[in-house]
Amino acid sequence: MKKYLLIVLTGLIWACGSNGTGTEDPTPQEEGKDRKAILSHLADQVIIPAYANFKVKLDAMLVKSEAFSNQPNATNLAAFRSAWIEAYIEWQKVELFDFGPAEKQTIRNFFNIYPANENGILANIADPTSNLEVPASYAQQGFPALDFLINGVAKTDEEIVAYYTAPSDGAKRIAYIKRLTSRMNTLLDKVIGEWNTSYRDTYISKTGLDISSSTSLMINGFVLHYERFIRSGKFGIPSGAMLNGVIAPEKVEAYYKKDISLVLAKTAHQAYVDFFNGKAIKTGLEGPSIKTYLDALKAKDSATGKNLSDIMNAQLEATKLKLDLLRPNLFEEVKSNNQAMISVYTEMQKTVRLLKVDMTSAMSITITYTDNDGD
Amino acid sequence: MMGINQYVKKTTNAAPLAVFRICFGLMLFGSIIRFWNKGWIESLYIKPTYFFTFYGFEWVKPWGEYTYALFFICALSAFMVAIGLFYRVAISSLFLSFSYIELMDKSTYLNHYYFISLICLLLVFLPAQVYFSVDSYRHKQIRAQFIPQWNIDSIKLMMAILYFYAGLAKVNSDWLWHAQPLSIWLPARNDMPIIGFLFNYTWIPYLFSWFGCLYDLSIPFLLWNKKTRIWAYVAVIVFHVLTALLFPIGMFPHIMMVAALIFFSAEFHQNVMNRMVAFFRLPIEKQQPSSVYQAPRFLHWGFVLFFAFQIIFPFRYLIYPDELFWTEEGYRFSWRVMLMEKAGYAQFTVKGGQGQQAVVNNNVHLSTLQEKMMSTQPDMILQYAHYLCDYYAKLGFSSPQVYVDSYVALNGRLGKPLINPQTDLAKEQDSFTHKTWILPFNDTIKGF
Repeated sequence: MKKYLLIVLTGLIWACGSNGTGTEDPTPQEEGKDRKAILSHLADQVIIPAYANFKVKLDAMLVKSEAFSNQPNATNLAAFRSAWIEAYIEWQKVELFDFGPAEKQTIRNFFNIYPANENGILANIADPTSNLEVPASYAQQGFPALDFLINGVAKTDEEIVAYYTAPSDGAKRIAYIKRLTSRMNTLLDKVIGEWNTSYRDTYISKTGLDISSSTSLMINGFVLHYERFIRSGKFGIPSGAMLNGVIAPEKVEAYYKKDISLVLAKTAHQAYVDFFNGKAIKTGLEGPSIKTYLDALKAKDSATGKNLSDIMNAQLEATKLKLDLLRPNLFEEVKSNNQAMISVYTEMQKTVRLLKVDMTSAMSITITYTDNDGD
Repeated sequence: MMGINQYVKKTTNAAPLAVFRICFGLMLFGSIIRFWNKGWIESLYIKPTYFFTFYGFEWVKPWGEYTYALFFICALSAFMVAIGLFYRVAISSLFLSFSYIELMDKSTYLNHYYFISLICLLLVFLPAQVYFSVDSYRHKQIRAQFIPQWNIDSIKLMMAILYFYAGLAKVNSDWLWHAQPLSIWLPARNDMPIIGFLFNYTWIPYLFSWFGCLYDLSIPFLLWNKKTRIWAYVAVIVFHVLTALLFPIGMFPHIMMVAALIFFSAEFHQNVMNRMVAFFRLPIEKQQPSSVYQAPRFLHWGFVLFFAFQIIFPFRYLIYPDELFWTEEGYRFSWRVMLMEKAGYAQFTVKGGQGQQAVVNNNVHLSTLQEKMMSTQPDMILQYAHYLCDYYAKLGFSSPQVYVDSYVALNGRLGKPLINPQTDLAKEQDSFTHKTWILPFNDTIKGF
């Protein structure tokens, strides 16, 4: 009995003792350098909820597309189209997570490579067994292909509906829409499934900074996304800023719908800023993030003493102001107001430098991807 | 003068040099196997289409698929050096093949490769085979129990130069006052078991910086001195094990830990040797008790010149204006190790006579490592610009002009352009004079 009491007592004292040291808060700085905390926050408060939100929008789009497939008419087309717009916008908030499951499934390549390959799409309609898993098929599926199919196959809605009710090929065309939407659904389910099962734990446990660590993969994907898909894809290439000034308005995102291209770009940019600052999807509150990590590392401009994260946020804000100067239809902007497009590109170029050089250097992360500028 | 004459005549047991030869040969052999095994021959020397040659060594290039043969020769030579078979041929071939490999591409330059080349060069002229080697087993006439003292001292001196100069290079304001780049590198390892949490403290990088600097400056003397030697060697182990754990620096810590054994006494090495003999049941060679190896006289002057060069050459940076870390003029071959966190971005634009213009995709021409190295080092930027000039000329650009938009961050400073974006690099030539198209650093890093 005595022995038992002794054990209980020791246990109690030990528990109190360890509890006592446990409540001693580590300094904010030490906490900020805890990459596990950052990865957990980003996974639980940003990435997984963002995918869940996107899933809702994609599901809604699937319902509307189903309705349109069953009954191709103007009302269903309009409903499908607006669901497509909403899903496309929501996609911009998850496209940046191009690491882990998304990278494994190369979901971006299957969801948003534009401009759409019209001939490829038409060939696939004719051949329902065509392979949609190969790189050559990237531009024949996803949002850009749907853009073509519901906005670009004819001029008016009436004609578009007629395209799908045509007695000869209508059914095949409908079938292709179904094929695309169900493929998108399958791919997204795979990505979300991995995040919800094993990958989340893998992600938060690989806390190193070597090239296979979560932070390194995430930062590489994050920087690449800005450089190649926001800066080059949405502005650099259409405006010709990257190719001898030869403009390519047909290479804007959502080329067939046209008037949503700016919204897509702005959404992508805002999602980028929010991820940098660790803004939780549901609460809108900022948590442990790349920003807090840089602050904890005391990354600053030694000449002015300004925090690197503030410099970066200011640069992102400056870019946002340039974006605000644009009108919704980027296709038109390239043709008539291209200087404004180029100035967005130029501003983004400054952000790329901060991301790719200053941020990675301060974090001691190696950029392992190679950019394919100038292609 | 008398002192020098006496020193030159002084002899010592050949055992330390023999043990050094075995260890050094085996370490190099292992390094090359490791290199091969990791697939680096392919990724560094066969896959890339362009290679950054060294000034004056433009003819040194990989041999395509035959590069494997080069590494095979190198590994075989290292093994033959270790066992002391055809020693002079083996060490000469090791020196040549290893140096050739290291000269093939600047982007793989490492100070410790340079160190290995130099040690090989010294060993070409040192009698490391006269004792405890296959050669001395087979040929009685070359056996010797004693060799000149300076033979062993020259290896020690080379190691001392490496450490001391590496220490001297750390005497600068970035390293000591700002603990850079360790303030950047150490927090990156804060998830290490047991000691990781330490790297969250701001004072830890300072401690490491100061310890590292004092270690490098003092360790040669502490190793040389008999009284402090054993503790100095403990410090060597601690220091290099730590660096091996913390940084991806491959074989270097292991090579240094083994090489530093040269400072130990002849008895120590004789002991090591006796154990090896017993363990491997080697046929023991009976030395004639008093046989002494005589070094040819011309070698004395050769060694004097060699070390004079080693002492002066790292200071060549003094003849260049602006900040060494920024321009990197006189940076290589000077034992400047782990001093900089430098990252950069270089986007090239090529313009042709008929209004052609292209933004270069570095990815097409360079490997990730090459691009990373090139983007922070002006001489490589220039080499690459010339390559681009030729490349675009072939594509039909008439007299191509090459411009670079560069951006470099150094030791926690915010990045800024490194190269004058208005300079047509195609027109600039590389030389040992200052590159005027490098933009000024506009900051000072005080010290060596």
